[in-house]
Amino acid sequence: MGVLENKARARTFYKYLSKVYDQINPFIWDERMRDEAIAMLDLSPDDKVLDVGCGTGFATEGLLEQVDTVYGLDQSPHQLSKAFEKFGKFGDVRYHLGDAERLPFKDDSFDAVWSSGSIEYWPNPVDALAECRRLTKPGGKVLIVGPDYPNSTVFQKMADAIMLFYDEEEADRMFTEAGYEEFEHHIQQSRPGSPRAITTIAEVPE
Amino acid sequence: MKEDLMEIICCPLDKHDLDLEVTERDDGEILSGQLTCTECSETFPIEDGIPNLLPPDMRDEAPA
Repeated sequence: MGVLENKARARTFYKYLSKVYDQINPFIWDERMRDEAIAMLDLSPDDKVLDVGCGTGFATEGLLEQVDTVYGLDQSPHQLSKAFEKFGKFGDVRYHLGDAERLPFKDDSFDAVWSSGSIEYWPNPVDALAECRRLTKPGGKVLIVGPDYPNSTVFQKMADAIMLFYDEEEADRMFTEAGYEEFEHHIQQSRPGSPRAITTIAEVPE
Repeated sequence: MKEDLMEIICCPLDKHDLDLEVTERDDGEILSGQLTCTECSETFPIEDGIPNLLPPDMRDEAPA
């Protein structure tokens, strides 16, 4: 159990991290990787898309290139305030404060759900994945980007200490338990040697 | 928040519909008000135009 798998701690951590987040985030997750992953969703402009754990809006910005409106949810007002600076508060992004494991949306509300760089802070990722499935229309896509379990010992120690990392086998278990039948994993990497992302795209069963 | 958001949001706890009470409105945006679950009666504030749908146990921080 990592120290951030406690929501109060995660919020305190994010309060400080939000100050530098967009500077350090491209270390493992850059625009090219983001846009590659967004392309997997095959979005149309009028699709309703939810960005779970939208934070400062790095992924939201990429999603807005494909769709007219993005629905963003985060648990941290500090992170969201950075997103307001980029997109305005009442523009093409609709914001909500909320918890990934107890999402405040009705069943089948969205065509697609996206979440990047958030799952590693969810205490019960299976619950959150099941929530994403519930509020996505049957046949719609859920795409989750998380940190792949690192190869190097130094990163492994950091990974074990502060957050949840997972490999493909663990991702299989989580998505199956959350009620998905069809999904595939893509390992994405910024450059050789840098920490890898594991991107899972799942189809919501009919 | 825009009023048509009511079509998709629900109580994060029991997923039932919410009732909307508007305190302040400006140019199509609801700036402040309250959302109340029609089932469990839990209330969720709308502050500075943003619905705070965090479950009560996560709402321990002062709003930004």
